[in-house]
Amino acid sequence: MFANAAITGVGQSAYTRRPEPSQSTATFIRDAVVAALADAEIDARDIDGMAVASFSLAPDAGVDLAWKLGLNLRWLLQDTNGGSSAMNMLGHALRGVETGAASAILVVGGDATGLGGYAKVAANFNTVTQMHLAPLGHGGPNGVYALVTSRQMKKYRLEKSDYGQLAIAQRAFAAHNPHAVYRTPMTMEDYLTAPLVADPLSRYDCVPVVAGAQAIIVTHPDRCPRGRAPVRVRAHCASFNYDNQEGDGLQTGISTFANELWQAAGVRPGDIDLASIYDDYPTMVLAQLNDLGMIPGSDLQRFARHDIGERRFPLNTWGGMLSAGQPGGPAGGLNGISEAVLQLQHRAGARQVKDARLAVATGYGMTMYRYGGTAAAAVLERAE
Amino acid sequence: MTPGDGKKTGVGIWRCVKCRTGFFPQRLLCARCHGDTFEPDRVYEAVVEEISVIRHMLGQTDWQPRRIASVRTSDGQRITVGLTDASEPGAVIELFEDGTAPFGAAKR
Repeated sequence: MFANAAITGVGQSAYTRRPEPSQSTATFIRDAVVAALADAEIDARDIDGMAVASFSLAPDAGVDLAWKLGLNLRWLLQDTNGGSSAMNMLGHALRGVETGAASAILVVGGDATGLGGYAKVAANFNTVTQMHLAPLGHGGPNGVYALVTSRQMKKYRLEKSDYGQLAIAQRAFAAHNPHAVYRTPMTMEDYLTAPLVADPLSRYDCVPVVAGAQAIIVTHPDRCPRGRAPVRVRAHCASFNYDNQEGDGLQTGISTFANELWQAAGVRPGDIDLASIYDDYPTMVLAQLNDLGMIPGSDLQRFARHDIGERRFPLNTWGGMLSAGQPGGPAGGLNGISEAVLQLQHRAGARQVKDARLAVATGYGMTMYRYGGTAAAAVLERAE
Repeated sequence: MTPGDGKKTGVGIWRCVKCRTGFFPQRLLCARCHGDTFEPDRVYEAVVEEISVIRHMLGQTDWQPRRIASVRTSDGQRITVGLTDASEPGAVIELFEDGTAPFGAAKR
């Protein structure tokens, strides 16, 4: 439990599939920062730490961003862990505030690659991708997770429609999120008849790339705006390169620390009121939930049909990245954390989970070769 | 280089001199024994485990579908290859390289 550090404010920029020429990664980040500072009711001059992650900030670095934002810092982190960057930065920020290295840390992620720019990122993700995957025309992460999905379908006897349950349930939440890029309700027929992208993945299995940014503020819980509950983190764990890419990808790095996470948090999976699970693909949502021990008996099929299909468990209540959009992995992960914060502060409007008190949030990413190699998770709590 | 031309071409792997474990892609230290010396070796066959057809590529308008597969080589590595034929899961394929990219097709 972090006693002296909490999340006190969240903010995001607009999300858009096609940014205007006047918009850039930096301008989206600025908009998210302004929104988060206002939400936390904290002056920019009080920010003395910043963590940033972005695939498209270069050639600028974190300190350039601090300069352009007029932030004078004594704590600075630039994270490169893609889909788990947000959760990773959160862990570092909590420890930074808890130990007194900084008193108020801005955590921000954003990207505005555009679709063509994202294709370049995907083909040049690392040297292994450049040398051994991109020349195959592997389709970026879509191709990688198509293979993982086939494996998961075989192992757990899943049907295509089981993944549809997740996409449809998340779309229903997105209808209540004004920031989501896709809000029109989706039917199973819509899902099943969507064009194939990389067999067996079709359009609604693949996270839509958007431009946008997301930010949160981590500071002492006493600095939370009056009348609002700060959100504490009961436990935080991370994993990097958990299996040398030699497994089947159906387990994530979360499997290496899940027991430790729950033990440190002092709660059980069944106590959780809602989950923000990094959802670049429905396949990996099921894999992470299973690793967390949140799918009884590892019966993924029953969980998809019963718990999600019948809306028994609130999963990715902002619509997830699958409906809200993925403004790069780092900001996408921050969106899940921000949603958990809004839910625990009872500020989620029409998508509010009644009496939400505990949430789990995850990050997963860095598709090194056959699947992602980084993962992190936290148990968040409404501090009364 | 393509299969069927009478030569066994295979795919290059890197074998740890100390414990003999073979790796693809290349590593800096052996994941088993952390040895730092590797010697080149080749694998020639693999079994197809999963396949996908890449039907859409971001940023491309005239994309032609391509097949890729996750395969297990005869030496035990799980690698991703391009399939140049209609091989399905369970098929034994012959491996070959085009530059640094591994490909496979059914044994002839």
